[in-house]
Amino acid sequence: MTRGPKAVTERAIGFGGLALALIAPLVFNAYWVDVILTQALIVGIAAASMIFLAAYGGMISLSQTMLMGAAGFMIGNMVTKGGAGGETKGLTLGWDPTLALVLALAGTTLLGVLLGAVAARSTGIYFLMITLTYSVVGFYFVGQVTVVSGFSGIANINSYTPPFVGDIVENRNRLYYIALGVAIAVYAFIRFVIRTPFGLSLQGLRDEPVRMSSLGYAVPLHRTLAFGLAAFMAALAGILLVWWQGQIAPGDIGLQATIDLLIVAVIGGLTRVEGAWVGALAFIVINNYIRDSWLTDLLDTVRIGGSFQTIIGLIFLVIVIVSPDGLMGAWDRLWGLRSGTDSGEGPSVTAIPAGEKLV
Amino acid sequence: MRGISRHWKLVLPLGVLVVLATVVVSTSFAASKAKTVRVAIMTDCKGGFGFGYEPDIGGAQAAFANYANGKVKNKKKPSAGMTGIRVGNTDVQIVGYGCGDDTVPTAVKETRRLMEQLKADVMVGPLSGDEAVYVANYAKKHPNKTFIIGTAGSQDPTLQIAPKNMFRYHGDGAQWNAGIGEIAYKKLGWRKAAIIMDDYSFGWTSGAGIIADFCAIGGKITKRVFPPLNTTDYSSYVQQLPAPGTVDGTFWVVGGTGTSAALTAYEQANGALKPSQHIGNLFFAFLGADKVVAPKVAGSYLGGFGTAPGLKTGQAKIYEKVVARWYPGLNGGNYADGFVYNYYNAAWALIQGLTVSNGQTGAALHAKMPKTLRSGYEVSDKGSVKLDANRQAIQDQYPLQLVKNADGSVAPVVIGYVPNVNQSFGGLFTKNSPAPGRTQPKCVKKKLPWQGKIKVVKNGIIYPTVIK
Repeated sequence: MTRGPKAVTERAIGFGGLALALIAPLVFNAYWVDVILTQALIVGIAAASMIFLAAYGGMISLSQTMLMGAAGFMIGNMVTKGGAGGETKGLTLGWDPTLALVLALAGTTLLGVLLGAVAARSTGIYFLMITLTYSVVGFYFVGQVTVVSGFSGIANINSYTPPFVGDIVENRNRLYYIALGVAIAVYAFIRFVIRTPFGLSLQGLRDEPVRMSSLGYAVPLHRTLAFGLAAFMAALAGILLVWWQGQIAPGDIGLQATIDLLIVAVIGGLTRVEGAWVGALAFIVINNYIRDSWLTDLLDTVRIGGSFQTIIGLIFLVIVIVSPDGLMGAWDRLWGLRSGTDSGEGPSVTAIPAGEKLV
Repeated sequence: MRGISRHWKLVLPLGVLVVLATVVVSTSFAASKAKTVRVAIMTDCKGGFGFGYEPDIGGAQAAFANYANGKVKNKKKPSAGMTGIRVGNTDVQIVGYGCGDDTVPTAVKETRRLMEQLKADVMVGPLSGDEAVYVANYAKKHPNKTFIIGTAGSQDPTLQIAPKNMFRYHGDGAQWNAGIGEIAYKKLGWRKAAIIMDDYSFGWTSGAGIIADFCAIGGKITKRVFPPLNTTDYSSYVQQLPAPGTVDGTFWVVGGTGTSAALTAYEQANGALKPSQHIGNLFFAFLGADKVVAPKVAGSYLGGFGTAPGLKTGQAKIYEKVVARWYPGLNGGNYADGFVYNYYNAAWALIQGLTVSNGQTGAALHAKMPKTLRSGYEVSDKGSVKLDANRQAIQDQYPLQLVKNADGSVAPVVIGYVPNVNQSFGGLFTKNSPAPGRTQPKCVKKKLPWQGKIKVVKNGIIYPTVIK
């Protein structure tokens, strides 16, 4: 089977991007590597878990931020140490970081399976509402139960890392490469899963749940397992997040953070996994540079007023109107316009036929 | 043709990537010029304290304008910027303003943007308690940067964490409440009280000051209630408070946009508020509360902000004149607000430090930061605030009362003077003591350094008699 020009181009961009990512610390300054790129990789992993559920399971989950935070709070409570000169918030159990890492990943995945078991029986707007509820419950739980966190959160988590991770406080490039490795692994994992019998049946029940059910497929079970897998990916993002920012607080999983992740996924495109990192990079770059004073000056000069959130909202609005399936959708459409065909890999824009099946 | 088309489709995206990389690399090499000290002012522009944005920036920049030749761009809008700041032979540039929202995640992003992307050498800020806890941890890992807290009042940054490159020229939230427990005990006859406090670092620290002061003289706290910061409906929390009559009174440590909502919920549950049954912290009168909150509780006592509205000393008048000169009407003309005052003092201390260090930053600046500062409302020690070993201010504190003016407005008036309040409260708070929290400190009777020594202040004049 020969690849079409679109697939070839995408492959070239993919490998070009990967090559650039591998040498990023040589090309970009420390701030860009540590703050923009590392953050984009981490947020991208969380967004990928959301897109995985949306694109291949037809489920838009608003719980991914909460699950990400669950892993962060778990590892934060387990690894930090109290006592004189130690941390003052959380359980400060002082456990072995490797053990804590495994437990946080396993615990979050289990939490995802349990939550998924309840949510998987609903669809559409009800699924969205249930997962939003999980998110809100998670936020208030960590905010109110001060034994495990409280509003201030847990600090200095990145001082306690497993030996194979090493010192990521001083050596920030190490964390960048870890995040890059995990992002590549998550991408490859999703590509692998969707080709397995499980992945194919997941896509089947995304498009025709009734028919799949009548064929004998356990629809809720498939959805639950998919939710669990996505929780595992979100957990990876959560661990990386606390290593990156050193601490975690309820604000990291609040409604604003949940909406931000949704915006990342929508900007990137809810139909293709690659969109997760494209959306994350776009969102973080916009969010970062739009706060600079030149923009405030410009807003004052043209008398628009408002804040950077206004700008992000406008950009979001434009993207959604121009290309409802995000930047990746715009890219697909561009090729469709030029060649009249679509020879790309992965689910195309039209792979999810109706909006109501997505939501 | 087809071959060329394919070729272009490959080259174009790669070309875009190369251009992007070039732009980023070129901006990354736009490093700071020699002998220019880069200063960032970190404050909040959103969340419960978002209205502190301009007062904070204005306070800091008034000091730069007055003592370091800074040129104000817009007298009505401090965030419009400032140019021409020069300390000795050193140029100082304000590289950016942080836009926090009193939460840690935003503080993380904004701190890193200011200190790493904009390459600030010094941060003046942050504003809020949890932000300061994060910044203190960040400061520990960035020993060459300097952090002068703006007006954040959590205890941990300068006691439990206490990085060597962090300075605070004002009291913490507990210090701001020194003396108010004794006033409740002596002037209102309170023996049993409840406390409602925001469930975060500043709320806990501010509440800790009240609890420590009230219990030290013999009072008992029978109930502690903790609404999350930025709660909008306080009815369920108010229901947890003991009904009026079962305790002598209630201490309020609910801040930001929540104070008025919390008091309204209490009124709805228990009827009109009796001033003698309610005592607040600074949130009863500052941060814009004078218009909305204060009229509800006119006559009540409250802790303070380390400031003394209406204090008739030469030093206080000079301070107020300086701010009024550069930013007339800032913060509604209320210059005795910690938002303005504390940021002003932080910037002023920085100017003094840079003067002595000859514009050097890092360890040289840390060594030369002033150990004393002639802050506007200081009276003890010839009008100087002193830093302790943790670089935390030992300051004078002024308990206040809300008084109705002839025109019907309500304003805070200084009624007491508590000299030299330190962070430890007579050894109750130490580096190894648990940071203030839901259960810390315990309610214990003990001798405080200022107990029985709070002097009477009337019409802005300090009298030698003590409050009885």
